[in-house]
Amino acid sequence: MTLHNHHLPYLKLRFVCTTQGDQTAKIESTKELTKVRLFQPTNATTPKNTKGLNTPQIKKDWMLEVEIGRMKMKNPLILASGILGVYSSSLNRIAEHAGAVVTKSVGMEEREGYRTPVIINTRLGLLNAVGLASPGSLAFSKELHKFSKDSKLIVSLFGSSPNEFSELTKHFDMADAFELNLSCPHVEDAGITVGSDPKLVEKIVREVKRSTSKPVFVKVSSEYDYIETAKSAEKAGADGITAINTLKGIAIDIRTRKPILSNTTGGVSGESIKPISLKVVWDLYKEIDVPIIGCGGITSWKDVIEFMLAGANAVQIGSAFFYSYRMLYSLKESLIAYLRKEKLEISDLVGLAHE
Amino acid sequence: MFTLRVDKIIRHSKDTSSLFFTTRLRSYPGQFIMLYLPEYEEIPLSLSSPNSVTVKAVGDTTKALISSNAGDIVGVRGPFGKPFTPTTKNALLVAGGIGSAPLFYLHDVLLRKGAEVKAIYGAKTSEDLIWKDRFKHVEISTEDGSEGFKGTVIELMEEEKLSEYDKIYICGPESMMMSAFKLLKDRNLLERAEFSLERYMKCGIGICGTCVLEDGSRACVEGPVFRGDELDGVVFY
Repeated sequence: MTLHNHHLPYLKLRFVCTTQGDQTAKIESTKELTKVRLFQPTNATTPKNTKGLNTPQIKKDWMLEVEIGRMKMKNPLILASGILGVYSSSLNRIAEHAGAVVTKSVGMEEREGYRTPVIINTRLGLLNAVGLASPGSLAFSKELHKFSKDSKLIVSLFGSSPNEFSELTKHFDMADAFELNLSCPHVEDAGITVGSDPKLVEKIVREVKRSTSKPVFVKVSSEYDYIETAKSAEKAGADGITAINTLKGIAIDIRTRKPILSNTTGGVSGESIKPISLKVVWDLYKEIDVPIIGCGGITSWKDVIEFMLAGANAVQIGSAFFYSYRMLYSLKESLIAYLRKEKLEISDLVGLAHE
Repeated sequence: MFTLRVDKIIRHSKDTSSLFFTTRLRSYPGQFIMLYLPEYEEIPLSLSSPNSVTVKAVGDTTKALISSNAGDIVGVRGPFGKPFTPTTKNALLVAGGIGSAPLFYLHDVLLRKGAEVKAIYGAKTSEDLIWKDRFKHVEISTEDGSEGFKGTVIELMEEEKLSEYDKIYICGPESMMMSAFKLLKDRNLLERAEFSLERYMKCGIGICGTCVLEDGSRACVEGPVFRGDELDGVVFY
């Protein structure tokens, strides 16, 4: 008995079912694959099929591939710095579905960070003042050698002088790129303090670029004139701008009548800051030519699309991991569905809202 | 964060107290709360009942906590984490020292579900055996022999017919849990066992990455309770 399967319109398969006395059926497939994609990308290689009926090896997320600053990524979804980035084990788990992962920011020396409470939930987001807790460059580099390389690895660096930043890059030979944290809102002598001085930013980026041939991204804050900072970074050779870091915030407990965070103030992240970060990406797209990595409150696949339309070449996701460890997987699948429907590749979307 | 008022305190020994709150938390045994003592730190603590935590003084915050008074206010986030899976059949609880805290809560819930519960409870000396009458059916061990069997809970476990238990719940110091893990692995019973792990935590909500295990699981979300076979390959400290 020969059956034709009409339920898989893109797969031309022939089933040969031989019903035997004991009711077990033997199924064979012609393993012939004529059309798997709705449309073919111009430079795509034909997918190779297959080991069997159940596991056609179709590369289905080719439409998500992006490139920022000479760094090719399998999708535009990047784990943001500071989230689940202390150990390689969590980075490895997230890397499976990420285009890249950014580590927790690291400085030269070990830093304990602030005492707890350091993170609390707010309405639609988080408020944190972890205080750049870091094991120091040597210990962290040892930890990162266990990274699986399932995605690109971006090492986030903090420091206060050009020399400090350029020294740091030498410790991380496993990194695919670096992100300079010039925007942490709750540590003195680092982050915002450094990023709000465009001349210093220019010097830092220049020194870092001299110390490494890998792409260098600069993470900016909306707490200062980000256009000026981004332009200085671009002028000094930065390969991309990440926008934005957390915004300054505070929470007070009404019964103890005291600020909750041990550091009093912290950084606000999550869904509540999305309109602000989107505006920064919008502004930067008009002012700079290097790629932009959108960051700040991205939670659903629609947010990803919005950021790409505003001008981001890739996006970072952080606080949304509060909802699920498999956040990137769900975003990825939703994006594929959207792009198939729209007959687009993800990079086609970049900046479309400006036209 | 919300606040709870301390209703009463039971001082079990010079370094261990149970704090009871005026409000019962909607929770399951094995879950923990992030408890913030103003002026001190915020620390993860297993619930020892829906409205209590049992604390041993090991640092500044816990020292201040055990000597707090009725009427004091503490900040709370949670309850967080994956709880124990209960059974209605027969269960063995293995508690080492202050590891008894989450098992007290589990013990009450299991009895209410009609399970047959036996506890093995051990500590260094009899003074560390706090609140042992909380367990209805309990076998005691102390390392110095000051009370009950002289030896460890592992030795008592070895004498049990472990395969006859539907569930084995373990909480205690890492070295004890490691020995229990080895014993249960040898007897091929890891799938019936549940371990409650303790890790340094900062956020409690799966964000900061401080408490991740070697396989990437977060002790605060995928844990703190793990089934034995989930822990294969995890390093005990």
